[in-house]
Amino acid sequence: MSMEYQPKVIGFLCNWCSYAGADMAGTSRMGYPQNIRIIRVPCSGRVDPLFVVKCFQRGADGVLVSGCHPGDCHYTEGNYHTRRRFALLREFLDYLGIAKERLRVEWVSASEGQRFSDLVSDFTAELAKLGPRSKV
Amino acid sequence: MGQGARFEMDMELIQQIRDKARKLLEEGVVEGVIGYERATDGLTSRPLFAYNPPATERLIFDETCAHNLVKYLLDKKGKKMAVVVKPCDSRAINLLLNEGQIERDKVFIIGVGCPGMVETNWNHKSETLQVKCRSCQLSKPLVYDFLAGQEIERQTEEETYSDIAEAEAESLTTRREFWMEQFGRCIRCYACRQVCPGCYCPVCFAERLEPLWVGIRIAPEENEMWQTIRSFHLAGRCIGCNECERVCPVDIPLSLLNRKLEKDVKELFAFQAGLDPEEQPPFATFKKEEKLEFGE
Repeated sequence: MSMEYQPKVIGFLCNWCSYAGADMAGTSRMGYPQNIRIIRVPCSGRVDPLFVVKCFQRGADGVLVSGCHPGDCHYTEGNYHTRRRFALLREFLDYLGIAKERLRVEWVSASEGQRFSDLVSDFTAELAKLGPRSKV
Repeated sequence: MGQGARFEMDMELIQQIRDKARKLLEEGVVEGVIGYERATDGLTSRPLFAYNPPATERLIFDETCAHNLVKYLLDKKGKKMAVVVKPCDSRAINLLLNEGQIERDKVFIIGVGCPGMVETNWNHKSETLQVKCRSCQLSKPLVYDFLAGQEIERQTEEETYSDIAEAEAESLTTRREFWMEQFGRCIRCYACRQVCPGCYCPVCFAERLEPLWVGIRIAPEENEMWQTIRSFHLAGRCIGCNECERVCPVDIPLSLLNRKLEKDVKELFAFQAGLDPEEQPPFATFKKEEKLEFGE
């Protein structure tokens, strides 16, 4: 086990698309970094900004919120609300000194295993480059 | 400002408020009138709840009446109340109407034109206009049943959010250090919440034990949690009365948080809270076709 910095990533994945997408990545034997801890939520609209702020407060280096593509939400419109909410939260966290790159909102469908795998690799690499969050 | 003379008590305006309040109480139109009276330092003001006609003689209005009295309507639900409302406070009325917290026919709004409020402290009144008043564009309340005095056209600067832009231009580390220093001072007295017309949840997230969102330990991170979510819960809802900053005992510049969100909500969703009681707030609606910089 190398001692190099490993970012901690929390992933909130919606049950219907992204979680199934992650599952697809797994069953298809596509690897992705183990840095991500996945939390399954019924819909990306379930993710309260509170969850994300709490993750950062408790030491997460990055947070991924992922749901169905706009238009494909299992509950018709949950992800449209997610989109608005997090567009604002990213700006706000950045203003408070938590780089907006640390919060990602992505759409991954149930068939996009490869996309999920690439996404997590890319995000983890980006976070590794950003380095640990300074506690100040 | 150096224009002390500008701030003389407008006795005619005050008389109009008193007469109207007395009449409303005598005729039984309302159960009570919420207004301002002189505080015991003889200089500043404090809220007054007048429930009988003689009490209305204590009503005043001057440049120290900064309190947003609309907050008290939330405690008087179901009762018909009259309330003295400045132009900025009238946006809080619209907010609460929009959110179904008050009923329009249960509130009698005594609107007043406003000369701008000054910074006050116990037993001390400065001549410096409050920051929020420097960019206020309202000459009269947006909604009222009776307008005491006249509309007051004031020369004010346009809100340009220059201080926010300045803060945004700082480096990430500087911003982080700045805010952690500010949040580090927070004693979580929750005065900012208690005074806010938009904060009325029966159980605040900060008081929930299961799950414990804001821990009881004394730490800047817990304060950060509180302040971040407090302001975010007011995104697209804050009407800019700036009462939170006024009451903060440790002088955290909360307006820098609230106005940052106000600015972004304006830019992203072209929305300003409290201007129209019918308009859908930004987080209650969406546009399918909008592009918000991420995804796709």
